[in-house]
Amino acid sequence: MNARRPVMASFGAAGFLPVIVSFFMAAFMMLPVGTGAANIAMPHLVMISVFYWLSSRPILMPYGACALLGFMLDLWLDVPMGLNMLQLLLMRLFVINQLKHYKGRSRLVHWVIFGALAFGLYLLSWLLVSLVYGKILPWEPLALQWAITAFSYAPVGFLLGRIRRAAM
Amino acid sequence: MRRGKGGRGAFWMYLLVTLVLLGLEIAGSRVPHQVRAYANDIVSPVLTLLEQPIRAVQGGLERIAGVSDIYLENETLRDENERLRQWREAAMQLSRENERLRAMLKVPGREAPPEATARVIGVGGGAFERSVIVGAGGVDGIRRGSPVVDEAGVIGRVIQVGRWTSRVLLLTDLNSRVPVRLERTGDLAIAEGQNESFLRLRFLPVGVQVRVGDRLITSGHGGAFPPDLPVARVVEVVDDFILLEPLGLLGKMDYVRVMAYDPVPDGDLDLEPAAGGESSQ
Repeated sequence: MNARRPVMASFGAAGFLPVIVSFFMAAFMMLPVGTGAANIAMPHLVMISVFYWLSSRPILMPYGACALLGFMLDLWLDVPMGLNMLQLLLMRLFVINQLKHYKGRSRLVHWVIFGALAFGLYLLSWLLVSLVYGKILPWEPLALQWAITAFSYAPVGFLLGRIRRAAM
Repeated sequence: MRRGKGGRGAFWMYLLVTLVLLGLEIAGSRVPHQVRAYANDIVSPVLTLLEQPIRAVQGGLERIAGVSDIYLENETLRDENERLRQWREAAMQLSRENERLRAMLKVPGREAPPEATARVIGVGGGAFERSVIVGAGGVDGIRRGSPVVDEAGVIGRVIQVGRWTSRVLLLTDLNSRVPVRLERTGDLAIAEGQNESFLRLRFLPVGVQVRVGDRLITSGHGGAFPPDLPVARVVEVVDDFILLEPLGLLGKMDYVRVMAYDPVPDGDLDLEPAAGGESSQ
């Protein structure tokens, strides 16, 4: 039996690529690009990135990284603290338990699974934020963001695939 | 096996942290708000760096699009400049007269000068909040609650102040309520954000006839905004449902002005200062 090594470090610098890419996705989400200044049309790039890396290299996106990314997003996006942390932790829990069922399947299957998972996570976040604010929030902006996020999975996933192949 | 147990342990540990943070939010603790004000300062250099190539591309595209009609634009600008000169003369004359009359009647001035001009460096909130981060903070004299405007009208107000950055809650946010006056009739109402592109006009007195195109300006009531700033225009009237389009260019903000105006503290705007930076929901 080999002694257990720190997992991310065992891949060299490339082992930190998923976290670094997701960090830049988080920063990119905050840039005032296009209609972004009206806060309408920006997909949840971190959710896409974390799902992609968990589905392809789960070992390089541990719970700690998910929690850290989520915490930073909570601070920067000014949403209730713990919200994105919870979303990303639950996303990892889901992928780790269900990956065996869809690993190696087509990209379309990954896309559908991401869409369904994102729907559940957005629904949970809507309930939690309504609880924090003490009032039922309108669901339409959230539905729009879910649709944009789900739709964006394919192009962003393609881009992340290129990055992965180039670096690993 | 060991790894599985470790992973599960980590999950429960981080889940506990998450629940504690959410509990603090639900309990209304000030700690999360204070932490956020500083977090914006940390991310601002990254945003400024990432923004450079995007602004360069946007600027290049605008330049290419503008070259073809530059002659026509030049002509239009000459005409406009001529008209604006005349307006300027008239405005200066009226301003002098206004000042003289105010002095005679001992009416205090109510113009709020700009405290700082700042660039929008980030957006936040996603589907839950409409806010932007601007590149000016406590060191620039920004205070919590200060109104923020652009060249067309009110944008929102400052809700968090870090050292070098501040967060501005936009008019369109669900928690934004601005006391307004219908410019044509003088009736008072509230412009309410809906987390969408449009605002809703509420609490208008019964019987007031609102028309599409009517402008709304700040009334100054409540003390959060100075009076007479342009806020929105009526775009749809269906019985009691009145939809407003903000006059501020929320979709393409670049530079904004933070006004040197001391808002009156109220329950929604707790002005207890925090050390170094401040924040408020």
